[in-house]
Amino acid sequence: MVVTSQEQDILLRMQDDLRRALEKPPHQRRWVMVIDLRRCIGCHACTVACVAENKLPPGVVYRPVLEEEFGSYPNATRRFLPRPCMQCDNPPCTPVCPVHATYRDENGVVVVDYAQCIGCRYCITACPYAARTFDFGRVYTDGTAEAEGLILGRSRADDYERVANFEYGRPYERLRGEESPIGNVRKCHFCLHRLAAGMLPACTTTCIGRATMFGDANDPDSLVTEMIARTNVIRLKEELGTEPRVYYLV
Amino acid sequence: MAVQERVSQTHSYERNKVSMFSRRDFIKMAGIMYGTAAFLGWRPDFPQLVASQAAATEIPLHSLENQIYTVCLQCNTVCGIKVKLLDGVAAKIDGNPYSPWTMAPHLDYETPFAQTGTVEGAICPKGQAGLQTVYDPYRIVKVLKRKPGTKRGENQWITIDFDTALDEIVNGGDLFGEGPVPGLKESYALKDPAVAKEMAAAVKAILTEKDTAKKLALVEDFKVKFKDYLDTLIDPDHPDWGPKNNQVVFNWGRLKGGRSDFINRFMRDGFGSTNTHGHTTVCQGSLYFAGKAMSEKLVDGKWTGGDKFYWQGDVRNSEFVIFVGASPFEGNYGPPLRVPALTVGATDKGLKYVVVDPRLSKVAAKAWKWLPIRPGTEGAMALALIQWVLDNERYDKVYLAAVNKAAAVAAGNPTWTEAAWLVKLDENGTPTTFLRASEIGLKEKEPRPLSTDPEKTYEFDYFVTLVNGEPVAFDPYADKPEDAVSGDLFVNGIQLGAFTVKSVLQIISDAAHEHTLEEWAEICGLRVTDLVEVAREFTSHGKRACADIHRGVSQHTNGFYNVLAWYTLNALIGNYDFAGGMIKLSTYDAAGGKPGQPFPLSKLNPSAMIPFGTSIIRHDAKYQESVLYARLPEDQRYPAKRNWYPLSSDVYQEVIPSIGDAYPYPVKALFMYMGSPVYALPAGHKLIEILSDPKKLPLFIAFDITIGETSMYADYIFPDTSYLERWEFNGSHPSVPFKVQGIRQPAIAPLTGEVTVFGQTMPLNMEAVLLGLAERLGLKNFGPGGLGEAGDLSHQDDLYLRMVANVAFGEKEDGSDAVPDADAEELRLFEQARRHLPKSVFDPERWKRIVGEALWPKVVYVLNRGGRFQNFAKGYKGNQVANQYGRLINIYQEKTYSTKSAMTGEHLVGYARYFPAPVDVLGRPVEDGAEYDLRLITHREQVMTKSRTSGNYWLTAIMPENVVLMNSADAAARGLKTGDQVKIICASNPDGVWDLHNGVRVPMIGKVKVTEGIRPGVISFALGFGHFAYGGVDFQIDGVLIQGDPRRTRGFHANAAMRVDPYLGNTPLVDPVGGSAVFYDTMVKVVKV
Amino acid sequence: MVLKRIAYAVCVLALLAGAWGLYDRLVYGHQHAAYGSYVVWGLWVAMYLFFAGIAAGAFMIATLDLLFGIPVLRGIGRLALWVALVSLAAALLSIWLDLGHMDRIWKVYLQGSPSSVMAQMVWGYTAFGFLALVCLILALTRPASRLLRTLMIVGLPLSLFISGAVGALLGVQASRMFWHVGLFPVQFPVFSLASGTAAMLVAIGLFGSRQDPLRSEQLRLFSLATVVLTIVKLYFLWADFSQSMYGNVPQNVKAVEAVLYGQYWWAFWILQLLLGSLVPMVVLALPGPSRNGQWAGWMGVLVLVGFAAARANIVFPALTVPELEALTTAFTGPHLTFDYFPSPMEWAVTAGITGMAILAFLIGNDVLPLRAKMEVA
Ligand SMILES: Nc1nc2c(c(=O)[nH]1)N[C@H]1C(S)=C(S)[C@@H](COP(=O)(O)OP(=O)(O)OC[C@H]3O[C@@H](n4cnc5c(=O)[nH]c(N)nc54)[C@H](O)[C@@H]3O)O[C@H]1N2
Ligand SMILES: Nc1nc2c(c(=O)[nH]1)N[C@H]1C(S)=C(S)[C@@H](COP(=O)(O)OP(=O)(O)OC[C@H]3O[C@@H](n4cnc5c(=O)[nH]c(N)nc54)[C@H](O)[C@@H]3O)O[C@H]1N2
Ligand code: SF4
Ligand code: SF4
Ligand code: SF4
Ligand code: SF4
Ligand code: SF4
Ligand SMILES: [Mo]
Repeated sequence: MVVTSQEQDILLRMQDDLRRALEKPPHQRRWVMVIDLRRCIGCHACTVACVAENKLPPGVVYRPVLEEEFGSYPNATRRFLPRPCMQCDNPPCTPVCPVHATYRDENGVVVVDYAQCIGCRYCITACPYAARTFDFGRVYTDGTAEAEGLILGRSRADDYERVANFEYGRPYERLRGEESPIGNVRKCHFCLHRLAAGMLPACTTTCIGRATMFGDANDPDSLVTEMIARTNVIRLKEELGTEPRVYYLV
Repeated sequence: MAVQERVSQTHSYERNKVSMFSRRDFIKMAGIMYGTAAFLGWRPDFPQLVASQAAATEIPLHSLENQIYTVCLQCNTVCGIKVKLLDGVAAKIDGNPYSPWTMAPHLDYETPFAQTGTVEGAICPKGQAGLQTVYDPYRIVKVLKRKPGTKRGENQWITIDFDTALDEIVNGGDLFGEGPVPGLKESYALKDPAVAKEMAAAVKAILTEKDTAKKLALVEDFKVKFKDYLDTLIDPDHPDWGPKNNQVVFNWGRLKGGRSDFINRFMRDGFGSTNTHGHTTVCQGSLYFAGKAMSEKLVDGKWTGGDKFYWQGDVRNSEFVIFVGASPFEGNYGPPLRVPALTVGATDKGLKYVVVDPRLSKVAAKAWKWLPIRPGTEGAMALALIQWVLDNERYDKVYLAAVNKAAAVAAGNPTWTEAAWLVKLDENGTPTTFLRASEIGLKEKEPRPLSTDPEKTYEFDYFVTLVNGEPVAFDPYADKPEDAVSGDLFVNGIQLGAFTVKSVLQIISDAAHEHTLEEWAEICGLRVTDLVEVAREFTSHGKRACADIHRGVSQHTNGFYNVLAWYTLNALIGNYDFAGGMIKLSTYDAAGGKPGQPFPLSKLNPSAMIPFGTSIIRHDAKYQESVLYARLPEDQRYPAKRNWYPLSSDVYQEVIPSIGDAYPYPVKALFMYMGSPVYALPAGHKLIEILSDPKKLPLFIAFDITIGETSMYADYIFPDTSYLERWEFNGSHPSVPFKVQGIRQPAIAPLTGEVTVFGQTMPLNMEAVLLGLAERLGLKNFGPGGLGEAGDLSHQDDLYLRMVANVAFGEKEDGSDAVPDADAEELRLFEQARRHLPKSVFDPERWKRIVGEALWPKVVYVLNRGGRFQNFAKGYKGNQVANQYGRLINIYQEKTYSTKSAMTGEHLVGYARYFPAPVDVLGRPVEDGAEYDLRLITHREQVMTKSRTSGNYWLTAIMPENVVLMNSADAAARGLKTGDQVKIICASNPDGVWDLHNGVRVPMIGKVKVTEGIRPGVISFALGFGHFAYGGVDFQIDGVLIQGDPRRTRGFHANAAMRVDPYLGNTPLVDPVGGSAVFYDTMVKVVKV
Repeated sequence: MVLKRIAYAVCVLALLAGAWGLYDRLVYGHQHAAYGSYVVWGLWVAMYLFFAGIAAGAFMIATLDLLFGIPVLRGIGRLALWVALVSLAAALLSIWLDLGHMDRIWKVYLQGSPSSVMAQMVWGYTAFGFLALVCLILALTRPASRLLRTLMIVGLPLSLFISGAVGALLGVQASRMFWHVGLFPVQFPVFSLASGTAAMLVAIGLFGSRQDPLRSEQLRLFSLATVVLTIVKLYFLWADFSQSMYGNVPQNVKAVEAVLYGQYWWAFWILQLLLGSLVPMVVLALPGPSRNGQWAGWMGVLVLVGFAAARANIVFPALTVPELEALTTAFTGPHLTFDYFPSPMEWAVTAGITGMAILAFLIGNDVLPLRAKMEVA
């Protein structure tokens, strides 16, 4: 036996898959996410990576990881279930929007147009997966001390929260006013701005369990295509007919 | 964006390839909204058509012009990270793909840097949240002094000028209106290295003298010989305590290379104190010190030179793993590195693992089997498995039979053990020392040159094994094929000459047969069938199986022996140095210790002092050799006032209590760097009593980034640069097979401001303070010419850049191991990415001058990649790891046996045996009565690190507080349900409180969480919550009330409910051999509140 | 009249509270609201449904006079239209303040999505508001005009549609079992009518002119209507809840249980059922009290309070059931809780809006010639 790995980290494999997909016109790709629950260790790295990447304020989360315990001692176990937006092919959240602010874009990703959204939150009530949250305009450093000059203080400390995030490929600085995305509904967007640069979604990149996989399901050679052909695939609340693009391996 | 434009083709670097994208792809993908939507013409698809291509392409974070590769310090796993910057602000942290921690396999080191801007590895949630440690509103940025007239711990501070603070510390005086405080000057008594060297030699002679009278006579000789220097000693009647310099103690918590070099250069080589102590024993001490005992080498006939180290499993290549008291999904070294190996291994490669842990940890939840063992019986379980493996002959006979290197090599094994060596028994049948060939007239001793001085010789005595029943003499290190000896494994009490002897494996077998399998199972609270299944599986995968152990094994009063037992089990299958077996860490030398390296730091150390004398924690020293012991009447020698630690060091829980007891001598000043023993240690509340008393500790100086649970008791707190603002050389962990040296480097401008020392501007941090003190004390190895022929040490960079140069040069004398030169583009990116750093931090000209033109492009090459990392393929050689331990593994330790306890005077046991826990430091069982009916243990959660992430609000959003994990049966018996509040009480803390000695008492009250995931009779709580400082409570600076943020104090911290040792009184239970502070052996009760 | 003075005083206090609430709302946005991303819609949306219901119901009642010319109801058309207008204003203000971006409300008109029930509803209510306003002006100036009758003919189905739309707004949500009740769009017009009726009881009973000869008969009529509608309403409630319980869909059952036994059980049992339905039903069924202005008026108030509670009990419970188990503990933070109780700011704003509506009603009642002609005749 010789141990020199012939493998490649799936992070790199998926980036290759991504590159191929990006060569195709957008409508020919089918972005899907596959989450292998056997590999998910409930570390919440994806949750925080997403918060950090998209500079999500308190109360806004795109990808919580739900933890549950089953069984009885000593035959007990725990399950961890990350929940991004399902990017439903048949999304109940979009038709309810009064102003077309949320819709499936040409990639099939359900996006929110921050400049258009009036913040009515109707779409939140429509989503069966609780995948949307509202930006109430807070920052995490709210409520900390200022004490200018004696300690670092709130207003010097919140720089990292105020600098731009690049959701949808555009800088959104979090100033002290009410500018979007404050007052908007926000949700997972499969990190379109990273995909555009040939990068995997932040949650996928940082998945230390390599539980989260991403790619183009229309590409027969991609990792995700391989995965969703398995027998142990499920989707959440399939019965609602939402046709999620997030698959789970169990 | 520049990077995308430049690299438009797709490269492949073998398997570890990076793909890049053309600008065209990029724009095509930019099919995202946000144009200027015409007022009425707005349609949902409209903005897509006018996709703001410019905006999408210009995400600055994706460019290497805005990235710096460095190393995480959110826990101690030291993953490689890349810091993404926006206008000089650290905006996002991701994994550095060159680092084996974040990607597997990691990128080959030669992968062009310019191609990695959009490639990133995986890091854990704490790593992601690091921004919140750096940009913590409660970070201190000014030098703080305890407000004169207020008591320690009252949390009233004044800001003080940096230079004034240093002057006060050096000169002393009435600093707090409480009377005179001795300055460092007073302790800097012995300054002449030549005298120190002579004294050290004289002291050594005193210590090694066995005869009491002669010893005391030597002391008198000493006093005569050094009569001019007696005032430099702590106590001339105890010259073995060393000079007054030792009365200044430097204690650290989390410390890495570079800074350790800086501190040791200051404290030891400069100031001449022997008292520099780390925190190892709070962490996994007995793991390290069992490792040390197992790696002792026979040098010049003596067992010495053991490495303070331990082994972990190369789980990536394992087929079967037993995790014992280890939590690789939540803690350990560490998640980004080990998790993918386990998860992908289990889903795709048929890896099986079992987890032995009283708590259903996250890794246990995914395991083939969860074995909820009774805490403290880990050693018993290992012995049970050993028994089954021996009885069923499923051990690696060839491996174990090899008594020396030659035999090991012949069998293709890099390591060997003493399994077949013969050990003499005493009259009680107790194993003692190895039989030597000369003792039975088998072979004469032979003179061999001394390793230290080849001119001189010592008498080498051969060891003995039986080969087919016949005694054979051997040299353990003989490596010529003809010297190979393989001995009989089981030799049970035969008579050889005057001695009754047993083979080591027999001794171990006896220990494993002290109980039947059923009895062992009963002791551990496990099922026999499970034990057998695990043992069978463990021995069914050749060398690709391992038992990987951590804190749950080592932090018991029997920690040392638990560790020894599990490592012995590993030895039965001979998996050391094999892929999938047990491995050690390996690092590139940054200190220049290898021949040819450009900056040999230990040599560039003008007038280095020779620190000597017993340390305040009495480590590496034998009580029985001390003058103290000699002066005591024979009947009062045992037990010693406090334990001595001849086999361990960095005994964290011993530092402050020993200061409190002035044992063996009083201490004048304590520096505390990045450690919080009050919070971190079991029974840490006892330290508060000492720290808050200036009579016991006249001067207490802390380096911290906030006011923490320990630094709140300091007299001065110096703000430190955070991990994104400073240098460090991070070494590695035994879970990493590759040779590495991750380098932490400044990524953002320091938030602490600047100071001037030795005429140079630099960030205010720990180094600046030491430089400033050195300047005031006149230490020769700092300042102009401080690095001898290499030049000055007036700025922190002077040392650290040279260390980078050492790493870049590599470890071959001819320079053939050097890294390539950075090309022009790399050089440009390097400077461009650092454009936001002030000159006092980054000045390309100054930096270049320090390392020299020739090495500069190599230094850049290394720094761009965040350190140096061996390629994946180089990490393995066939079925073995390339970086090998490769020598004798002491499953029987003569040195341990030869050591006598300072408490009982008894010999220690030198092999794996089961000793029930808990016992006190005198070895007496701790029995607190039936009232205390729950065993308290503790664990990590993935989102918390010890005492220092409670201000990471992204993490507290996921876990705002911890809970008391309790089995449903225990909850039902107590009428408790999830959410009920209970107070945790133990015999040594019947009030269940932290008494802060400032009028505040913090009760240990937590919310119960009823679960099926913990062994009945055991409760556990997660580390990291229940703060009572750290920005969570109000404090005053310059009279301004600064309000704490209550989010940071949520939950509870039950370390104060951990048992105080009944004999020591101010220290937790300890493992007296391995030195561990004990976390898991306290019986408590819970009271509903 | 003492009552009126008290009413004015209370309204002014409510307005003061509202001013503070509005200040907070405008300066801190939604930060101090208790609703969040799980209980998405709070008090204001409930109040919107409540006021909008009154508006539609009042309009329906107005048609009885102005379109169908029912004799006993002669003269109440303008009053009903005024009630409709002020409550519509309160409704729209409530919902407008609830928006994340109030400044973008124009988008609903100019860039609205026809497929969205919400857009339809906003359009409908706006149209309805204009229509009601024109009707009122016509009723005041040219009561006999053909145009008024035509507009009333248009308005009647519109008021049905818009109140139905409120039901549809919730009902189309297939994922919220508690709302996804086929009959919601049918039920809501009935609710509207009932709340309109109750509002008329208040308007006439407490603030109507004692000299009005038709008053007691009108009160009797509205009282009986209230009794009947309450019975229908209770039947709907029973049907919804029992179906939910029998159907045994966990989400649904949880929502119903939240209403019945949850944290705010009292809002259902005491406000909605006892005070809002049973007590008024009994009192208003009695010939005496049902003709008595005070009795009938106060019963109207009770019915309205019951309705407000009922609106809340439709909106919140469905939202307090996590879509996925364990969501509550997965990520914590402000506005991420499944418990909801309106914050002081929300109460203040609602108080202000309600006070404003009542004040507007009172002033209109005093200033506008809503019933003047009747008295002359
Ligand atoms: N209940 C319980 N307790 C435990 C454990 C457990 O599992 N359960 N685990 C134990 C283990 S394994 C360990 S290793 C110990 C660790 O214990 P320690 O090494 O004592 O401490 P830390 O908590 O890592 O950090 C201590 C201090 O460092 C400061 N600090 C943070 N960053 C910096 C910096 O950049 N510079 C400086 N100068 N200071 C800084 C913090 O403010 C804090 O005051 O805890 C132990 N305590
Ligand atoms: N998230 C996170 N990761 C970290 C750190 C951190 O603070 N936070 N710190 C780093 C450091 S310094 C260290 S030392 C490592 C520690 O890494 P580990 O030692 O792997 O982690 P711990 O959680 O301390 O303890 C391991 C396990 O021991 C179990 N245990 C407790 N009592 C007993 C017992 O009596 N017997 C047995 N068999 N098991 C028991 C606990 O339930 C826990 O699952 O983690 C490192 N990684
Ligand atoms: S998961 Fe929810 S938000 Fe996402 S597309 Fe589906 S319905 Fe919409
Ligand atoms: S909140 Fe925004 S995206 Fe959601 S429905 Fe309302 S306007 Fe549309
Ligand atoms: S794809 Fe991006 S936005 Fe969606 S959960 Fe992952 S990181 Fe968040
Ligand atoms: S990062 Fe991966 S392993 Fe961790 S919680 Fe998310 S999906 Fe699970
Ligand atoms: S495990 Fe997490 S916190 Fe620890 S070093 Fe790695 S990324 Fe940082
Ligand atoms: Mo540790």
